[in-house]
Amino acid sequence: MRAMPKQDSTPVQRERLLERMTRFTRPSFFIQIGLLLALIMGPLVLSSFRVMDVIAKIMVFTVVVASYDLILGYTGIISFAHGMFFGLGAYSLALVIHHSGSPQWYHPFLALGVALPLSIVLALVIAFFSLRVKAIFFAMMTLALAEFAHILGIQWYDLTLAEDGVSFKLPGILSVDWSAGRFLAADVNGRLMTYYLILIVSVALFVGLLRFVRSPVGRVLKSIRENEQRSTALGFKTFKYQVFSTVFGSATASVAGILFAMWLRYVNPESVLGISTMLYILLMVIIGGLGTMYGSIIGAAFIKITETWLPDLQKLAVALFPNVDMIHRLAERWVLYFGILFILVVFFFPRGFVGKARDMITRRKMSSVEND
Amino acid sequence: MDSEIALAEPETRFALDAKKWAFRIGSVGIWVLPIIWIDVTTYLVLTVAGVTMGMLLFLTASGLTLIFGLMDVLNLAHGAFFAWGAYVGFSILNALNALGWVETGTLGQSAGSVLLALVVALAVGAMLGIALERIIIRQVYGDHLKQILITMGASLVMAEIIKIFWGPNDEVVLVPLAFQGSYDVMDVIVNKFRVVAIFIGGAVFLGIQLVLRKTKLGIIVRAGVENREIVQAMGYNINLIFTGVFAAGAALAAVGGTMWSIFKEQIHPAMGEENLIFALIVVIIGGLGSVTGSFLGAIMVGLAFNYVAFLLPKLALGVNILIMATILLIRPWGLMGRE
Repeated sequence: MRAMPKQDSTPVQRERLLERMTRFTRPSFFIQIGLLLALIMGPLVLSSFRVMDVIAKIMVFTVVVASYDLILGYTGIISFAHGMFFGLGAYSLALVIHHSGSPQWYHPFLALGVALPLSIVLALVIAFFSLRVKAIFFAMMTLALAEFAHILGIQWYDLTLAEDGVSFKLPGILSVDWSAGRFLAADVNGRLMTYYLILIVSVALFVGLLRFVRSPVGRVLKSIRENEQRSTALGFKTFKYQVFSTVFGSATASVAGILFAMWLRYVNPESVLGISTMLYILLMVIIGGLGTMYGSIIGAAFIKITETWLPDLQKLAVALFPNVDMIHRLAERWVLYFGILFILVVFFFPRGFVGKARDMITRRKMSSVEND
Repeated sequence: MDSEIALAEPETRFALDAKKWAFRIGSVGIWVLPIIWIDVTTYLVLTVAGVTMGMLLFLTASGLTLIFGLMDVLNLAHGAFFAWGAYVGFSILNALNALGWVETGTLGQSAGSVLLALVVALAVGAMLGIALERIIIRQVYGDHLKQILITMGASLVMAEIIKIFWGPNDEVVLVPLAFQGSYDVMDVIVNKFRVVAIFIGGAVFLGIQLVLRKTKLGIIVRAGVENREIVQAMGYNINLIFTGVFAAGAALAAVGGTMWSIFKEQIHPAMGEENLIFALIVVIIGGLGSVTGSFLGAIMVGLAFNYVAFLLPKLALGVNILIMATILLIRPWGLMGRE
């Protein structure tokens, strides 16, 4: 017998209690455990570097996309500076190691110590500057600012090595030189260790974001998104909440940037600061669905998997039509298909795949209730 | 009592006037400030270059600001129209060069080739604009987030199509013979094409102002900026006007692209995005929806960019962000925008 919650509690409390009681019996719980196990076992069982590479990138981008979803989907702020924060994190690790000569164990922490305060201060400045103006101004301001950061990355040669990019080594057991024999199907080396570090940190960040949107603060954020005036009327200082969400999301993105740099061991302005990075993040959010944290996994996975295996498809197209020049040109331009996908998703799945799935599930539930 | 007020009034009015005038003189005077670090001849050269750049920026920004003001649409695909204009102009110039019009030939042929390139770019820009507005933008009126996303996607697609047709590499643009080289006015070297650019930019500004202020269409458009529903209620087909303004904005951006490509003598597919950033800064500085504002903003951005690029090359774009931030601090709605 399931004990029903007390009647004098508030609806929110009742819902919470019900959720807590069914926590370990819902299907989503098993999916989560299964996913986690797959992520842990994946590189041990499959000895393909390409697969591990894609999974690591998916994990990093899931965090980036989820933190962007917090700003865009849960708070309703259109910011184009998210890629900039991602790049800030990536560059802080690369530059700390590059400018200090040899990599030391404390360097990732130092990078964290640089990236976090910097991104928090920057996000605060952006927020105070632009949240008071119209939403569309905020979008334009952040777009201009992100482009400025990109140009800074390209032009400030003494600091960032400009378009050459920074390639660097990681310290200790994360280093490519480190190796400790074999375990199952995998070489235990610096790559694998980096993979597990990314796994731990990104899962922690993702769970943190999930907790955040389900916290009372997250609830207020959603109410601001739905109706800012009404939230104000209910006594919430909407500005404070919006600032908080922007800062939290931006700081998370900069940590994800550090992880990304760790995985690639190389950064350049185009790969982390460019407007195309921001576009990919946007596309992932849209595909996954705004305001759905789990959608970020789907969005990131979809884009990263297509991005990895699309070149194969391209070669196939070229091999099939060796003489048609137009096909070659069309096959080369895979960003074009992402662009078309972008438009189609906004048209037909405005709430993304997760949002669409949720709609369908609710509709089915509703219809089954009606049939009863 | 009465006399006291009467005495006080003119004084405060004078104080206000003085403040206003100080502001005006200051805002003009600040552009003379770089003369401290730059010698006069170079300063004049840079000023001409800055005004030219401002005029070209204005061509893109004016469309953006009108589209936003009238339709409440933030069109991030505007940069793509610019790039399309540049590439179409480039192709026309190449085609005419085969006829011997561009790199050789008379003044008339040079002028004709520029004019033809501009007209074709204008037509292509307008057609692209109509297509984009009819197919895509129309579906998402009133939803800023969707507009931003969908125009971003459209700009991506249009930039990629450029790469399919013209290839992804930088191309060198031919400059018509009559506009090559420069005039030398008392040691101040003025590139010939800059004069043309300033002339065309000024003409477009005056043209837009004339249309907006003196024609019936202009009245309808201005009324639409004020209040869309009432214009519709008066029996005007607002959808047609939207399409028209969008097409006009796209055509202006395309013209700006052609001019820019001849001015810079080279083009590349990402030029649209780069220019969009400038145009956005200009539109924010000038105030959304104000043509005069974006004209002033464009000149400001052009001048500041050139002075700073000469003094501290690395900060050139930074100074524009700085101007934008300062203006937003003082007037969050831009120079000429409405609160």
